[in-house]
Amino acid sequence: MSTAYNVLFRRNYTMLGAVFAGAFAFNLGYDSLMTKIWDNNNKGRQWKDIRHKYVEEE
Amino acid sequence: MAPLSTMSRALARSAMKQATTVRTISSTPAVLGSSSTFSSPFKGESKSTKVPDFSKYIAGKSSGNALFSYFMVGTLGAISAAGAKSTIQEFLVNMSASADVLAMAKVEVDLAAIPEGKNVIVKWRGKPVFIRHRTAAEIEEANNVNVSSLRDPQADGDRVKNPEWLVMLGVCTHLGCVPIGEAGEYGGWFCPCHGSHYDISGRIRKGPAPLNLEIPTYDFGEGDKLVIG
Repeated sequence: MSTAYNVLFRRNYTMLGAVFAGAFAFNLGYDSLMTKIWDNNNKGRQWKDIRHKYVEEE
Repeated sequence: MAPLSTMSRALARSAMKQATTVRTISSTPAVLGSSSTFSSPFKGESKSTKVPDFSKYIAGKSSGNALFSYFMVGTLGAISAAGAKSTIQEFLVNMSASADVLAMAKVEVDLAAIPEGKNVIVKWRGKPVFIRHRTAAEIEEANNVNVSSLRDPQADGDRVKNPEWLVMLGVCTHLGCVPIGEAGEYGGWFCPCHGSHYDISGRIRKGPAPLNLEIPTYDFGEGDKLVIG
């Protein structure tokens, strides 16, 4: 049996912890990836891209 | 009569024995030989009834399989958990006020235009907001009240950010009328609907109202700007 199996999957609570930690990490990565794709698709059309044309320094 | 019955019994017994032996033959496991070894008891069997040899496909050791299946279970569980979380989150975020609504929900007031000892009423989110530029005497009067004797005990310092400026929601805490400024027995506000008297700090002193006048969230901006909301 490999160490990954022994450390993560042998006991239920470690399995559950690994699953939730993985869900958290996946959520962060997926969100940032999708935001990047969205921003790339709408480059130059969003407020944060054209803000400097309208708002002077505060 | 007797011999006939014994003979029939013996016949039946032998028939049963034969049946059981037939059954044992038919249920013998088919893994004895390396080639296809399931020998059917029936005559004229075709090739398609033979059970093939699966020994080639039997896993050598099961640990890798267990690791892989637990990994797949865990991965799919994690993805489902992330999906469920973001589904609920998006529904809840959908209900909250959007950025343009929040931007309209603020009111800016120029405090330099309000002389000392005067009230100003501004509209904020559909409700009146009282702003009073209090004099030093009024601040002292508000601070000299015995807090524990009040119906809704609250020190004046907890109700104002800057004691000079009293900012509060102009809605009577009794039934929601708008109190009249610089009136009442305590020199503060008086609600004409049912006769609640508020003092110079907006605290209820007499009448049916249960609570002090509410304080909205506000901030003193740059210079003489007051931002409510």
